[in-house]
Amino acid sequence: MNRTTFDPHTPFAATLLDRRSLSEDTALFSVLAEPAAVEPLARFLPGQFLQLSVPGAGEIPISPADLPSADGTLQLCVRRVGHVTEHLHRAEIGCKLGVRGPFGVGFPVEEMTGRPVLLLAGGLGIAPLRSLICYLLRQPERFGEITLMYGAKQPQLMLFREELSVLAAQGRLRLYLTVDFAPQQPTGDFSCAVGLLPELLQGFVFDAQRSYVAVCGPPPLYRCLMDELLGAGVAAERILLSLERRMRCGIGRCCHCALGQKLCCIDGPVFRLSELQRIPEAL
Amino acid sequence: MEHAYFKQTQLGPLLETLRLFGELHGPVLSEAGVASFAALDDLGALRLDYGKTRIPPKKYLFPFREELLQYRDGIYRQSPLDPPNIVLFGVHPCDLAAIAYLDRVFLAERPEPAYALRRERLTLVGVSCEPDDFCFCSQPQEGGACDLFLAPRKDGFQLAFAGAKGAALAEAARGLLSEARPEGEMSAPFRAIPAQDPQLRFSDHPLWQKFALTCVSCGACSVCCPTCYCFDLREYPSLDGGGTRLREWDNCLFATHGEVAGANFRASRLDRLRYRFLHKYCGFSPLEGMSSCVGCGRCKEVCPVDIDLRELCGGPDAAAAVPPAPLRPAS
Repeated sequence: MNRTTFDPHTPFAATLLDRRSLSEDTALFSVLAEPAAVEPLARFLPGQFLQLSVPGAGEIPISPADLPSADGTLQLCVRRVGHVTEHLHRAEIGCKLGVRGPFGVGFPVEEMTGRPVLLLAGGLGIAPLRSLICYLLRQPERFGEITLMYGAKQPQLMLFREELSVLAAQGRLRLYLTVDFAPQQPTGDFSCAVGLLPELLQGFVFDAQRSYVAVCGPPPLYRCLMDELLGAGVAAERILLSLERRMRCGIGRCCHCALGQKLCCIDGPVFRLSELQRIPEAL
Repeated sequence: MEHAYFKQTQLGPLLETLRLFGELHGPVLSEAGVASFAALDDLGALRLDYGKTRIPPKKYLFPFREELLQYRDGIYRQSPLDPPNIVLFGVHPCDLAAIAYLDRVFLAERPEPAYALRRERLTLVGVSCEPDDFCFCSQPQEGGACDLFLAPRKDGFQLAFAGAKGAALAEAARGLLSEARPEGEMSAPFRAIPAQDPQLRFSDHPLWQKFALTCVSCGACSVCCPTCYCFDLREYPSLDGGGTRLREWDNCLFATHGEVAGANFRASRLDRLRYRFLHKYCGFSPLEGMSSCVGCGRCKEVCPVDIDLRELCGGPDAAAAVPPAPLRPAS
């Protein structure tokens, strides 16, 4: 007798189609999953994550930067920062990868229908939020005004800045960019405000009573943004945070991704601030 | 559930009968005097007076290291699995309760295929116990979630059996058994320490600091715990271009447990002890509100620096803190 058919651990086969460098250490990978994966991938909601396998290196949780396409192509924005991502960055186009998922709880898009949406991204946190932006922009009539505030360390590290600028110029979203440091740049080069995201938020007027706010970035960003948002009058139930932990199994068993008694892989990775307020180690 | 009685002299023949249902395993002593569950090729090696095994019976369902996947040319495939039928003889009620807990973890929602197959092929024969210096369940239990349970009586054993497997075992051993008066039901899994208030982990109890200063992160408490099941997935490439993905026991006391590339969410020992307290005595989603301590006392016995997290729960004799929260219904 062999194992039963349900198998949460075996990845679907996938092929690396393309790699586009976005910054010194970050690239956007196009990955085509095998046809059998198309149906599960079609259930993907922005904010959910996948487990990406690099044969010989291991597996990492990745929140896709776009919705999977109809043929099962995934856009994965990955920074070279550890063992698996190092192997991925060195992989040749055409090589085999593996994909499991989608896993976890994404953004509550049903509930957000008709509401203005404010997105706050810090650094690589733009990647999971980009899939939400793609989702919202595909049905603009369904959602209220979309605003993105995006902070990066310096202009060269600002990912997707051309496409975001185009979207802003087309009037499809309101865009505010800021950097921590702006080294001297040649005339005509890209420019944006200098300062931290919370400062940007301080002068921003928005419909705090109705808006949903989606936040993704490094842990210190959450800590300094929450007071600003609550102070502006956004209810904790409408502040949505996409958190990072070490998800290994993706199905709530291995227990690496615990935040308090919650498991990031099945209760998140998108949480409402109201769920996290009793979990001091979450933020 | 039904009952029967058999004489002490029939224990050998009974064990031989159990062999018909699979490899017979039970408690034996190593040369160094450490008790463990191992194959009973020689019935003379069986030690029914063992206190407790160092490694709990979880190893039969959730091996320390297990191959889940193989890959070749970049394609992952499930590794074939065909575990033997095993009859595990002589399991104490606390370890039976631990297996019942692991069943909830691995089988309640979306059953884990490898665990389910091993569980299906494992027959459990429980036996009642005598408390030792370290264990702390409220009283010696005479029963548990198993197929067959033995309790010593005058010159023999009272035998209780339940379910289809238990009935088949009893049927096969019919010639050895005689009638017995029913003695109550096999008791349900019990918890030696009830669910604790999760906020207790941030209490300013001085013991937290003391434990954090003395813990050496050896992880023995977790390895020996019959309900600890944290695991890691590791990739092992081979020289021919293929490779395997293994599932291995992980340990929440190790610094790597909360590590991500570039950060660690549980960098200090205090963080890790608090995590352990929370997982063990408060439960993680979807078992939030459920303590998984069965009172075997292994953690207390093996800790090289005498840490006993139970002291935080008000001490061994005052364990009750808050009533367990209702379990979230299975989705």
